[in-house]
Amino acid sequence: MIKNYFKIAWRNLLKNKGYSIINVGGLALGMAVTLIIGLWIYDELTYNNYYGNKDKIAQVFQSQTFNGQTGTGPAIPLPLEPALRDGYADYFKHIMMSSWTQDSYIKYKESNISRPGNYMQPIAPEFLNLEILKGEKEGLREINSIMLSESTANALFGDEDPIGKVVKISNQYDLMVTSVYKDIPFNNAFHDTDYIIPWDNYVARWEWIRESLDNWGNNSFQLFVQIADNTTFENVTNAIIDVKKNADEEVEEFNPRIFLLPMEDWHLRSNFENGKQVGGRIKYVWLFAIIGFFVLILACINFMNLSTARSEKRAKEVGIRKSIGSQKGQLVYQFLSESFLVVLFAFVVAVLIVLLSLNGFNELARKEISFPWQNANFWLISLGFVLFTALLAGSYPALYLSSFRPVEVLKGTFQTGKYSGLPRKILVVLQFTVSVAFIIGTFIVMQQINHAKNRPVGYEKEGLIQIPTFAEEFSGKTDLMRNEFIKSGAVIEMATSSSPTTRIWSNRSGFTWEGKPEGFQEDLAWTEVSSEYAKTLNLKIVEGRDFSREFASDSLGVLINETAKRYLGMENPVGKFLKDSDEEDPNPPLKIIGVVEDMIAQSPYEPVKQGVYVYDREDNFSYYNLRLNPNKSASQNIAIIERVFKQHFPDIPFQYEFVDEEYGEKFAAEERIGSLSGIFTALAILISCLGLFGLTSFVAEQRTKEIGVRKVLGATVFNVWNMLSKDFLKLVIISCFIAVPIAYYVMNGWLQEYPYRVILKWWIFALAMLGAMGITLLTVSFQAIRAAKQNPVKSLRTE
Amino acid sequence: MLLQLKNIFKWVNSGGQRIFLLKDINLSMAEGEFISIMGPSGSGKSTLLNVIGMLDTFDEGEYHFLNESVHALKEKHRSNLYKEYIGFVFQSYHLLDDLTVYENLEMPLLYKKLKGPVRKAMVGDMLDRFGIVGKKDLFPAQLSGGQQQLVGVARALIAKPKLILADEPTGNLNSQQGEEIMKLFKKLNEEDGVTIIQVTHSEKNAAYGSRIISLLDGRKIAD
Repeated sequence: MIKNYFKIAWRNLLKNKGYSIINVGGLALGMAVTLIIGLWIYDELTYNNYYGNKDKIAQVFQSQTFNGQTGTGPAIPLPLEPALRDGYADYFKHIMMSSWTQDSYIKYKESNISRPGNYMQPIAPEFLNLEILKGEKEGLREINSIMLSESTANALFGDEDPIGKVVKISNQYDLMVTSVYKDIPFNNAFHDTDYIIPWDNYVARWEWIRESLDNWGNNSFQLFVQIADNTTFENVTNAIIDVKKNADEEVEEFNPRIFLLPMEDWHLRSNFENGKQVGGRIKYVWLFAIIGFFVLILACINFMNLSTARSEKRAKEVGIRKSIGSQKGQLVYQFLSESFLVVLFAFVVAVLIVLLSLNGFNELARKEISFPWQNANFWLISLGFVLFTALLAGSYPALYLSSFRPVEVLKGTFQTGKYSGLPRKILVVLQFTVSVAFIIGTFIVMQQINHAKNRPVGYEKEGLIQIPTFAEEFSGKTDLMRNEFIKSGAVIEMATSSSPTTRIWSNRSGFTWEGKPEGFQEDLAWTEVSSEYAKTLNLKIVEGRDFSREFASDSLGVLINETAKRYLGMENPVGKFLKDSDEEDPNPPLKIIGVVEDMIAQSPYEPVKQGVYVYDREDNFSYYNLRLNPNKSASQNIAIIERVFKQHFPDIPFQYEFVDEEYGEKFAAEERIGSLSGIFTALAILISCLGLFGLTSFVAEQRTKEIGVRKVLGATVFNVWNMLSKDFLKLVIISCFIAVPIAYYVMNGWLQEYPYRVILKWWIFALAMLGAMGITLLTVSFQAIRAAKQNPVKSLRTE
Repeated sequence: MLLQLKNIFKWVNSGGQRIFLLKDINLSMAEGEFISIMGPSGSGKSTLLNVIGMLDTFDEGEYHFLNESVHALKEKHRSNLYKEYIGFVFQSYHLLDDLTVYENLEMPLLYKKLKGPVRKAMVGDMLDRFGIVGKKDLFPAQLSGGQQQLVGVARALIAKPKLILADEPTGNLNSQQGEEIMKLFKKLNEEDGVTIIQVTHSEKNAAYGSRIISLLDGRKIAD
């Protein structure tokens, strides 16, 4: 019997090719979108699955309150580690200190590469579940050892055996390779940790770290833990929450609270607002889940609409089958198996589409998703998905068609009632509501991105490059290099800075100044720069003056930005001092010599933070900032700069970044969302239009006789077109009025997350509505005009 | 007694008025009869046939078929009943366009849930009997009207029903084709003992039957 059903279904598909293409094609597109989104969501939800003990691992986080504002982050002070080890040993299986992931040069013979990696305590190989390919498992016992990822070892050593070889880090110190581990897969934390060096080496190397060993105020490190098997994250958090507060009265006023963020939450729920966990990427998982679901619904609606629209053609078949002994249930079963066949077919096409587009999608979404051929669960879920879609898309037509009464359909008196088209109309309205809402949403995302992009950055980011200077060799050579670069003609100005132009790496507190309110807990963005920083960036001085080499006293000078001027409450800041509040061993006071315009160094969606630019007395810089010669091409300039750089630092790889590109990175996340939702919107519209197209052709066919009669009575092509289009246009207009408030509500909510946001204007909605109507008219017109142009003699003869 | 209709009424309400399609129909029929139902258009012939064939319901009265009370049966039972005992032949053949002759004949057997080899034998037998073996892989559209109706009759017969209901079986055929079909009915009735009820306009075709029932405006006026 089932074979018979499939046979009929197959012949039906072949007989109505246009209909089949619309049906299968639309469904396949919808399924492909849902599949891709499904893979994406799976990838997001399985983040960190590499770690078998994922449910026991956590990172130690800290919340502190400044002036009523609670900030939360993973940076913790060094004394926390011994405090946990000594006081709470029972709660933990492992405790591991780690540095931030940082780029370092790794050199072996002629090859010198820059890779990200960490300093970690010796438990790291076990903690991180590393798969050791060569060498020993406990590769961090010796202070001068280094573990390398497989890809890094290959890049450095090629075919040579790396174990026991000595590499030079940052052109400064030698380490011996003790083991090589398999690269941690992409969708996991630490996937970019390409080297691991013993923590003790880190401590031994830097004086500032040793000074921080008993300093509860320097939050500059990371601490990871694996809790004991017999406890929970809440238990541990409850036990350790006040450990810092109780340990040091100096930090008590900031109400530091120490807690655990489970590994499960690192990727998807790592945002905090005023000390509360408020989600994070999980909202995009939801967003895309909703989009995927709706796109699938749209495709299913097509299927339902086209199937029921064709009902009159199938009515006879239903009548015959019933008259030769079929029961209603059997017919339902038949139509469902037919829809199953179509869906299965569409699924195969969808898989093909996914395979073809996965690379592009990965690039767009910055993922490394591969098609899970070997995952049995995937196929099971897919089968479920196909069945679900077949049921969703096929149940309405199945129930509708199978309920025809044989006497009526066989006698030919069968009439689709006045309201039989109503469910179809409702479905079309639903489709276009979703499409219009998508259009508006995409519009607004794009607008918001453009809005932030067009925001004045406060400096000239074009023609500016930055060169990282993370090695010791750069110290003391700033003036020399500045002269050399300028002399070479490729650069017109150069300055150093302690953080890149597009970031703030350091924040400071502990100052006093004239008029500081009692109990005010200041928090200032802190950048150390050389004299020509403002000149290099074309940062405008609005009050006072820039640093000048003519005044030796400028080494204790400071520039503040306009926000800082307001923040510090100074009418005339120039000439005033920022003093160190440490009374025992104060740093010298800093004299404010000028006020510079606000520049965006952090999020372009947020207000500029109060910041100070301090003269860099101790060569704490991390970047060279170079203003390129505008009279030469960028590539010419870069070539010259590289040559000069290599003359002075032959052992250091030449790396550079264009500041405007780095700045552009700030929009990457939103742009990804924007372009993905743009693509999905386009597909949603395409699918809806496919359905509309199919539906119009059926309506036109159904009304052939009516159109013929009207034409004989003198109707013009325009009259007929108008008649056919009006019906559909009405539906789309209804959709618009449903979609607009929904889209407004949702998008307004989305925009609230951005302090610097676009104002929603009515014309966005009007434009989306007009667009939807235009698309509808185009789609419908094609069929309507064709029907209208038919010779009435011909169409009347079909009776 | 094969079937018995007692005081059957069927009506529709239209504009506050009740229009009777069937009015107080009483009819008994024994196995082996060949009845022709006659009457002008709209007299209720087809309605009566559909009621007998259980494709249509009625509003009042009793209907007994092989000692089962059809009016009291649920749809599932009713469908089992006619699947088992009744075959239909239509004026416009009503073959399934997407299926070949062979598959059309097989269809009722599938609904009776017969096994593959049994079906094959029965279809082969029927093709043979009607002399359409050569046409078994053709689709209905590739056949002439007469041939299509031949398939239609074969399909009605294949499940070995006790009763064949034919609604103007020759209405779409030319006179020669029509005569062949009527002769076939006669032969089935006489040689195989199949009970037949046909609806017809033609006196000549009605004469093939053993009993003629005349309807006018839903009433039986002659038997």
